[in-house]
Amino acid sequence: MAERARPAAGAGRSPVLKRRSDLGIVLKVGALALVVLGAAPFFLDIYSVNILIRALFLAALALTVDLLWGYTGILTFGQSAFFGIGAYACALVFTHWGFGAGWAVLALALGIVAAMAVAALAGWLAFYHGASPLYGSIVTLALPIVLTQVVFAGGRTTGSSSGLSGFPTYYWTIEIWFWVAGAFLVVVTGLAWLFVRSDMGRILVAIKENETRCAYLGIPVPRIKILLFVVAGGIGAIAGFGYAAFTNVVAPELTGFLLGTELLIWVALGGRGTLIGPVMGAILIDVTSSYLSGGLPFYWKLLVGILFVVVIVALPQGLMPVVANRWRRLVRSAENEAETPVLEVASPRDRAHDEEQPLDVRNVHRNFGSLQVLQGIDFIANKGELLSLVGPNGAGKTTLIRCLADGHERSGGDIAIYGQALGRWPPDRCVALGIGRKFQAANVFATLTVAECLRVARYRLDRPSVWARKSVLALPEAALRIVEETGLAKTLEVEARQLAHGQKQALELAMVLALEPSIVLLDEPTAGLTRVERERIGAILTSLTERERLSILLVEHDLDFVREISSRVIVLHQGRIVLDGSVEDVVGSDLVRQIYSGGVYGERSEES
Amino acid sequence: MVGVLVLDIVTTAAILFAVATGLMIILGVMKLINFAHGAFLTIGGYAAYVATSLGWNPWLAIPFAALVGFLLGVIVEHVIVRPLYARPLDAILATWGLGIIIGQLITIGFGRQVQFVESPISGAIDFLGQSYSLYRLVLVVLALAMGAALTALLYFTRFGLNARAVIMNEDLARGLGIDSTKVRLLTFGLGAALASMAGALITPLISVDPNLGLPWLVNSFMLVLVSGVSIPGLMVAALILGGAQVIVSTYFSAILGGLTIVVIAAVILRVRPQGLTSG
Amino acid sequence: MNAPTIRLGISGLTSGYGEAIVVRGVNISVAPGEIVALLGKNGMGKSTLLKTVMGFLTARSGRIMLDGSDITGVPPHRIARQAVAYTPQEQAIFQDLTVGDNLRLGQPEAAWFDEELARIGQVFPFLLERLGQRAGTLSGGEQKMLLIARALMARPRLMLVDEITEGLQPSIIERLANALVAERKRTGVSMLLVEQNIRFALDVADRWTVLKVGEIDDEGDSADQDAAARIAGHLLV
Repeated sequence: MAERARPAAGAGRSPVLKRRSDLGIVLKVGALALVVLGAAPFFLDIYSVNILIRALFLAALALTVDLLWGYTGILTFGQSAFFGIGAYACALVFTHWGFGAGWAVLALALGIVAAMAVAALAGWLAFYHGASPLYGSIVTLALPIVLTQVVFAGGRTTGSSSGLSGFPTYYWTIEIWFWVAGAFLVVVTGLAWLFVRSDMGRILVAIKENETRCAYLGIPVPRIKILLFVVAGGIGAIAGFGYAAFTNVVAPELTGFLLGTELLIWVALGGRGTLIGPVMGAILIDVTSSYLSGGLPFYWKLLVGILFVVVIVALPQGLMPVVANRWRRLVRSAENEAETPVLEVASPRDRAHDEEQPLDVRNVHRNFGSLQVLQGIDFIANKGELLSLVGPNGAGKTTLIRCLADGHERSGGDIAIYGQALGRWPPDRCVALGIGRKFQAANVFATLTVAECLRVARYRLDRPSVWARKSVLALPEAALRIVEETGLAKTLEVEARQLAHGQKQALELAMVLALEPSIVLLDEPTAGLTRVERERIGAILTSLTERERLSILLVEHDLDFVREISSRVIVLHQGRIVLDGSVEDVVGSDLVRQIYSGGVYGERSEES
Repeated sequence: MVGVLVLDIVTTAAILFAVATGLMIILGVMKLINFAHGAFLTIGGYAAYVATSLGWNPWLAIPFAALVGFLLGVIVEHVIVRPLYARPLDAILATWGLGIIIGQLITIGFGRQVQFVESPISGAIDFLGQSYSLYRLVLVVLALAMGAALTALLYFTRFGLNARAVIMNEDLARGLGIDSTKVRLLTFGLGAALASMAGALITPLISVDPNLGLPWLVNSFMLVLVSGVSIPGLMVAALILGGAQVIVSTYFSAILGGLTIVVIAAVILRVRPQGLTSG
Repeated sequence: MNAPTIRLGISGLTSGYGEAIVVRGVNISVAPGEIVALLGKNGMGKSTLLKTVMGFLTARSGRIMLDGSDITGVPPHRIARQAVAYTPQEQAIFQDLTVGDNLRLGQPEAAWFDEELARIGQVFPFLLERLGQRAGTLSGGEQKMLLIARALMARPRLMLVDEITEGLQPSIIERLANALVAERKRTGVSMLLVEQNIRFALDVADRWTVLKVGEIDDEGDSADQDAAARIAGHLLV
């Protein structure tokens, strides 16, 4: 059961929030891993240790791929490019400039900076609002190809196709290298683990699940993806640096497309989105490949290829289902133990602009080529108004909603929210101006729990932690009311996809209200609801206009519903506003009658 | 010199076009990027090798390769691609995995060494004082023939009409009695056949090894994304991007030339995500 | 000879999208040669019902029978090949294909295309003049006539028509009404017309049914004196 805590009267800010993190678990497991790694070289032969060191560096790289692909849904072929940048930074500096502690630091820094710069550029190219995931993958595909060619073009400097070898490096004992690689992997894995289990980690999953919904919740998706890509690039570069320093050889294969796809295979087989799976998968497969490289390499590669295809087609969870499932159950049960967040009222954000008009739409039009979907749309919305948008199919209602929530959508005209121009802002910025959009089909995050969905919705106003989970979920009064009245408060730990249809609609509405919007846009909120649910939604919407003084704009076909709850009605027909008035004005209008039924029996309607 | 440059551009464009058509119709009908495309090219190359090793007329290698490609394509669509209809990114990976499988099977069967395939036509002709490979010129004719045949298939046959209907609106097509599953199956087979045929066509120029298809894969698919689903569009894209590649290779460096298509395509798609020809 | 007395039998049909139930336990039957109008406001489940009959949506429960054989859950292309012509409300023609190609696609077997084309040319002569023209360049009313022509050319035994009159001028609506009635007389085709235009529905159909929130709310014969008034009561605000 969730409890409600109210901040003390007069308190301007929420109480200090407790954070739960897995730091304890990570430290314990990490320490254990380090101990195992510490002892390992003494039990294994030199050949194995050698192979393992390379595998450990590659596993760290595979981990970055899992973060990008398994968690965030970015199919990337490009992590090998950053690995290669780090490796070549090492080789180039040591070969052509000098060797020593200072040079090593310089080389590492250069590698990281170069990788991050390339990642930022590629990210800017690939992850923009409205980019298709396919295009993003294409850019990540182009990266290693371009880089490999750059290496080839480097002639003597880069060693071209033969690469560079024998450059001065740290000729430490094999045990020390093992410990260095192992510690690096453990640290990276530990940090990544904390990150994916934190509130910010849930944002990544939300992006993978439903990027559109994230954008309309004010989450700057492109920026997050680029940042993640840059960080992953940096880590990849470090791994590459270590690899090159140890093996003392660099070749274009390290930057290449084939390595990039190998990484995806390891992650897929190990189990995407599990972190440990890809790490183990990478180590296991790479070590086995190295052992078999003398014997029957082609049969091994064939087997890996077959397994890969089988996994993609039939077992998206990966080949370690036993491990993966047990792992997931462990993770979920660890979360369920006393981890239900406590619901609390959030102190409302500052509404300085109260005197201005909530919504002012002037001469908005939208065409698709020569097809005019909306023309000359002019209207205003006041505070506390429940404005219904009605009209036959194809009248342009949903298009108008889209124009209000996304600055790119309209072809012309001006929209101002509380005096501030919508301009060409993408959806996440429109949320900042005060727009909250609820979609017609319940648009939530299927694999996240109710509490997590709500927390994601609070991104803008309650920045999530990158290493922990907050134990308190603060929601504004309106959202909290919905959560409690519809029984969602009892299902905070249930995954959203298991909710009934009516509950999902309520959850999405609560998420939109969690944004503390000034204007709420709803598209057919009663679609598919039972009579009881309709009445409840009607009451909720009415109370929102009365208590919170929100402006609500709703597109509806159910004219009974419209008549009951609206304070004003706008009728759209063939892209124009034909009527804008009170409910009585519209209900009694002959024009509306004609538009809707194409002529009543007994009346001869004139040819238009 | 300019004459030779122009010939290089035209022949390169023709080769790119021939190689990319198979990928394009699969993308059009099935909305899917077939990453096994490179492997089908390789299969075509080896089919040609087998045909010529058996002493057949080298020209027969081409339809033979097409047949092998078609049969394999039909099997692949049924087993691997169909379950992934709703997961396009996963389909890219699965077809890539398939490409690996095919590559390894070929290596196991034929060994890793490079094989040479006899060219159906050898020799060169004199062009403005320079000597130019006759086979390359013949390829231009063959590529145009491929384009013409495909256009005829799409616009003059019932299958073609059905396929175009499925490309435009699959649900509407189904509601009119078109078995879109069968159309997809045959289209994939056709796309694989075209790829194999292209593989057989280009092997006299570049020799055959298990990794034959790989460099063509990325270039083809960049071309197809830029051109959109349109035969003339693909010809134009092949000319423009192929031309750019030739110019960069000739005047700057061959290595940078290899990058040209990829880089230019990525930029074009950023600016016009729908490609050059749609809208 | 036992001729089936029901051409289309929908019993206890329930379906929807995702978890939303849009059609609840609906029973409708259409006799051979009968035209039934299905009326209701937007969002009441009319289109969903047609899509379920046509196999685009899976029925959660209930049965759909076509001349005695069960077509519940049969894929759309197989149903179309059983002489069922479906004209959807949206995206109903291929805008980038020619008028001729659109018409051709109406028939899975091209066997009687020329014959049917000649016949349709008498009902909608303008089509014969525009065979090579891109369908997207036709006006809204012409596109709807193309749609009906395509359906009629398929020699259907059952037509499922979704809001064909939407957005059309009365003169064109009248032409369509005449075409449908004449076709029924000529071939005995059955029709289930989804509509919001009361006058058209009562002019063409023999019987009418009103769908409200996914359930049948009222039904009757078109000949009833109070039919129009009753339906209007359900449809208007």
